[in-house]
Amino acid sequence: MTLAIHTRALHKRYGSHTALHGLDLSVQTGSVFGLIGPNGAGKTTTLRLLLDIIRPTSGEITVLGRSPRTDGAALRRRIGFVPGELRLEGRVRGRALLRHLAEISGPVAPGTIEQLAERLGLDLSRPVRTLSKGNKQKLGLVQAFMHRPDLLVLDEPTSGLDPLVQREFLAMVREARDAGQTVLLSSHVLSEIQQAADEVAVLADGRVVADGPVSALRIASVRRLRATVTDVAAETVREALGRVPGVEDIDVAAAGDLVRVAATARGDIDPVIRAVTLGTVRDLTVEEPDLEESVLDLYARNGASS
Amino acid sequence: MTAVAHPAVVRTRRLPVLRRWLGDGWRGLIGWAVGIAAVVFVYLPLYPSMRSPELIGLIDSLPPELVRTLGYENLTSGSGYVQATFFGLIGFVLIAIAAIAWGAAFTGGAEESGRLELTLAHGVGRVPYTLESALALLLKLAVLGIVAWLLIWAVDPAAELDLDPGNLTAAIAAWVGLGLIAGTAAFAAGAVTGRRSWGIAVGAGVAVVGYVLQAVANNSDELDGLRVFSPFHWAYGQTPLSDGADWPGLGLLWGGSALLVAIATAALARRDIVG
Repeated sequence: MTLAIHTRALHKRYGSHTALHGLDLSVQTGSVFGLIGPNGAGKTTTLRLLLDIIRPTSGEITVLGRSPRTDGAALRRRIGFVPGELRLEGRVRGRALLRHLAEISGPVAPGTIEQLAERLGLDLSRPVRTLSKGNKQKLGLVQAFMHRPDLLVLDEPTSGLDPLVQREFLAMVREARDAGQTVLLSSHVLSEIQQAADEVAVLADGRVVADGPVSALRIASVRRLRATVTDVAAETVREALGRVPGVEDIDVAAAGDLVRVAATARGDIDPVIRAVTLGTVRDLTVEEPDLEESVLDLYARNGASS
Repeated sequence: MTAVAHPAVVRTRRLPVLRRWLGDGWRGLIGWAVGIAAVVFVYLPLYPSMRSPELIGLIDSLPPELVRTLGYENLTSGSGYVQATFFGLIGFVLIAIAAIAWGAAFTGGAEESGRLELTLAHGVGRVPYTLESALALLLKLAVLGIVAWLLIWAVDPAAELDLDPGNLTAAIAAWVGLGLIAGTAAFAAGAVTGRRSWGIAVGAGVAVVGYVLQAVANNSDELDGLRVFSPFHWAYGQTPLSDGADWPGLGLLWGGSALLVAIATAALARRDIVG
């Protein structure tokens, strides 16, 4: 298989701060590749290097068989990019802005812009500065997808989108892959990567700390659980949770008939749920915390084993 | 939107960056043109009443340094009057501010607002981006030049200015060139630093220092040499509105502007886009 993106020993320094320490990354053509890591891990730096928005301090980059540095404009016409921090200002209307960008990177097939906008629920007739964060993000997605580029580079593409639009976005990513396009997306939300990506690389502190098929990476282990239960003694729940391996920060408090439970679970979620269901569950939330914790956890374990 | 346009293929077009700067900025351009029209229509028709002996006496009674600083030595001819009131003073301020605002916005402002990153992520190179933006600056200033020429020529008979059309063209070329060098200084500073405020500061510095240097030089024989560093002097030192085009002066203004655009292009092509 050919590689859509290949980097070797990629370094990027900003003054005395090193953002990337010798990054090696390989993305297969036609795959969906997820780049995850906590904020400041180097995801945005990596993606901006691929677009030649910034230049590497050292190392090699090949994108679609070409060099971003020397094949600049012709190469970028084959890439769709959503910046990590998309800001849109000015009186210009969405339609006019997209038209302008299409005149740089076109051709864009008839009706594509309208179809994408309708799919995401974006009003093209409004001045871009009046759009909400989510609507700006939709416009960012439209401009990245509209010219059906060979490669999509999406930096935190779902930030600000509501869950329904996020689902639509994931469908767009699957369709892009089915059409033979390659997708590289970054996120600090693990579940999003798990749903969308075939392969994943975990970045921390400017290095790849783990990579491989998304199914092989066992890092989805940290969850926060909060529940309100009745018809059970607080002590019973506390003891049951205490017996489950990997459960931390247990906080069980009785308030009248109610027992409020909070805990952090690392590992299997099933015994945790069973402990809670000793009573009657009145309310239950299981949250995936910010990826930071999972990745740092993984990082620490990798560091310990090597 | 009452009718939905029939969708068509959007193809790449030549000079997309230039098109967008002009397309986005037409309101501002009209505003500046209206401002210039207001100045021309308010000041120039006063000329016949300015030739009265009382006013000449008044100017004679002013401190000579003030008169030389304002460029009022030659207020009694039509060309001297238009030079002193429009080209040398309010017209200069207007075109300098417009040019500096545009120049700084096209580089530093675009980078700070995130527009540059989004544009450059598409199929346009850094060098074409910079050159098209510089061309947009030049075209917008050229429009102001044409507007000013037509307006001044329109009031010429009624205001009894008795201007020569060729000399007016020479003065307009100097005026636009003076705006252009301040604007390209702002453009270059914005391209080097990525900051709009730096662009405005440097552009304003070129305009203000240029003005002050020639004013100081006009008032001091010892400091007379300073005027060679003043774009204001390059533009107006040889009184183009009275005496015709000053080619070396125009060469310095337009050549200097081209050099500043080259610096901006080299700077933007070499560095990381921040912002």
